[in-house]
Amino acid sequence: MSDKSVKSAGFPAQRRPKEPRSAWLNGLSGHLGAIALVATATVLCEQARPYLSPINMVMAYLLAVVLAAVRLGRKPAMLAALLGVLAFDFFFVPPRFSFTIADKEYLITFLALFTVGMVISSLVAKAGERLEALRLRERHTVSLYQLSQSLAAAADTPDVLAAVIKNIEQSLGAELAVFLPAEGRVVAAAASAGLALEKTELEVADWCFHSRRMAGRGTESYSAGEFTYVPLKALADTLGVLGIRLQAAEDPGSPQTRRLLDAFATQTAMALERVRLFREAQEAHMLKARQNLERALLNSISHDLRTPLAAITGALSAVLDEGDKLRPSSRAELLETAREEAARLNRFVGNLLDMTRLEAGALRLKLEPCDVQDLVGCALAAVEKRLGDREVQVRLAPALPLVPLDLVLMIQVVVNLLDNALKYAPAEGRLEIACYCGDGWLCIEVADSGPGVPEPELARIFDKFYRTPVPEGVGGTGLGLSICKGIVEAHGGSIRAENRSGGGLKIIVKVPQGAPLQEVDHGC
Amino acid sequence: MVAENGKPSLPRILVVDDESAIQRFLKTALDNGEFSVHQASSGHAGLAAAVAVRPDVILLDLGLPDLDGVEVIRRIREWSQVPIIVVSVREREDDKVLALDAGADDYLTKPFGIGELLARVKVALRRSLQQAPEPVFTIADLQVDLPHRRVTVRGEEVQLTPTEYELLRMLATHAGKVLTHSQILKQIWGVGYMEQPHVLRVNISNLRRKIELDASRPRYILTEPGVGYRLRAGE
Repeated sequence: MSDKSVKSAGFPAQRRPKEPRSAWLNGLSGHLGAIALVATATVLCEQARPYLSPINMVMAYLLAVVLAAVRLGRKPAMLAALLGVLAFDFFFVPPRFSFTIADKEYLITFLALFTVGMVISSLVAKAGERLEALRLRERHTVSLYQLSQSLAAAADTPDVLAAVIKNIEQSLGAELAVFLPAEGRVVAAAASAGLALEKTELEVADWCFHSRRMAGRGTESYSAGEFTYVPLKALADTLGVLGIRLQAAEDPGSPQTRRLLDAFATQTAMALERVRLFREAQEAHMLKARQNLERALLNSISHDLRTPLAAITGALSAVLDEGDKLRPSSRAELLETAREEAARLNRFVGNLLDMTRLEAGALRLKLEPCDVQDLVGCALAAVEKRLGDREVQVRLAPALPLVPLDLVLMIQVVVNLLDNALKYAPAEGRLEIACYCGDGWLCIEVADSGPGVPEPELARIFDKFYRTPVPEGVGGTGLGLSICKGIVEAHGGSIRAENRSGGGLKIIVKVPQGAPLQEVDHGC
Repeated sequence: MVAENGKPSLPRILVVDDESAIQRFLKTALDNGEFSVHQASSGHAGLAAAVAVRPDVILLDLGLPDLDGVEVIRRIREWSQVPIIVVSVREREDDKVLALDAGADDYLTKPFGIGELLARVKVALRRSLQQAPEPVFTIADLQVDLPHRRVTVRGEEVQLTPTEYELLRMLATHAGKVLTHSQILKQIWGVGYMEQPHVLRVNISNLRRKIELDASRPRYILTEPGVGYRLRAGE
């Protein structure tokens, strides 16, 4: 049984008036077939007439009716039954070639032939319809299953939409669009490739969205269009609209198709709802994390701002109020404290500004060919006063090229690394700076002879506000190294820390060496 | 001390800043008998004072309420070469280059120590008060003999390429003053080299190698990151 014959048998009464021509053609060919079958039966009976009694010829006509019912459908089968009766009467019931009947008993034969023909055609047609319904249901079940499978894997809204479009396209051969609300109106958020939507379609989709009822072809509202619109209803609200242009043969008004569309819409709505809830949960989580971070930030900032201010205020008020009673040496010491704390405050404010710039993405690198020796020299000059008695060993590889860097920011990196080393290294300890090139990278190493950092913590020291426990009075802001990381990464480089075998921490900065420029001979 | 204030024999310093705390601090710190201090708290007042007072040095804040400091520099430079030292909280190198290229002599970022300010003021005054530059520039172990084009370090003559010598001469005749990259490139190499900063980097590096004891920790040619170079002023 071919699909085509099943379809013509399946929905003869429900054909859309939209395509009368093909239905009419289908019907015509069916009826011509019925006529041909009856004609064939008549010819065969004519051939067999010498050997058969007219009564047995009825079997040939019944066969024609059965064939018509199986192959051509209900109406051609009925036509075959009627024609069969007439042909049998005309050609074979004496007197031949006339509709008059000599033996009235033949009337029973006619009646039986006609009735049996009708019953057979009706039974066969019903069986076909049931089979078709079964196939349709199976097809729908499979497509729903596939849709739910791909929706389960979808992680965000675009994924969901893509899965919906792909699955419904494949299972129904339909074109479709998913409309989602934006500022009170729906817009097409995703659609089949090459699908052009007219403005009126959007209006119908919008109506469907706000009324929460199906619209378009096969429904009571806006039924003139080619699309059928199904609202995507979630628990509390409507999430969007599914707009489908079904194949001409599919009837959106039929209960099966309607059920299927409903099921598709429900699946889609559930998936969208799931994605939305997941996103909301995630946002809530991130908000909480950010609030925690902000609280930590505020605590840290207020501590780091107030501590030096407290020292400055204390020292100055002591000098102002008790100045006369103080020994000159204490007086000088108090004033020196105030100055050092002010410098610390200034560094902290600078760090905060840098961090803010880094985080706001306002950091624009000004890459210029830089002399690495100059970079080291400037950084050392900036920390000169804080070096104290510490020895600094600088090792520069000979003939280092000019490297494209933002000199100011990279000085900041080295200064922060030196600051960090100063903070942890003992007062008479040694700092080491080494610069060398290899494999297209410039490496800058800053090493101290301090206590180092516990292995598991090594990666975390570049996190914002991370601090290792430090000796009293050398508290940092926990920003310096994370600023380094931000700047180095902006250069397309990387930064890491490792403990030295002989004790102490070594931080290694790697930045791209860039295209070769002129070499600088440092004569090392 | 106050009694001496205003005497024409004292170098006159004009402070243009709208922050009263800064004005008070500078007035107190500078009014030590060595200078006479004059004040203006806006750009226009500063311009008027520059005409009326004829200062020997101007300390100028950039963030003035009425007129941007860079514009004040430009207007003063239209008629006067008085040394201008910018004192500003703006710490971005672009701001410094803008002010220096407009004609400022020096740039000091707030906050600063009074010692640093006094050193810069003295350098500026020396340039402002002396008419012709010294023929021989000396600082620590470095000597640049301009008439003889001779450079000696620790008494030993150093061989410089013509470009290196020109570079050193330019820095020496502006000792203590920041010269921006573009100012140097324009004068030594010409306008065509303004976008070729690496020739300057390479020559500075070579120059340092020849005159500095430790090129990694230069004592004479100081880098102003992102801005330019400065030759340390002799004491």
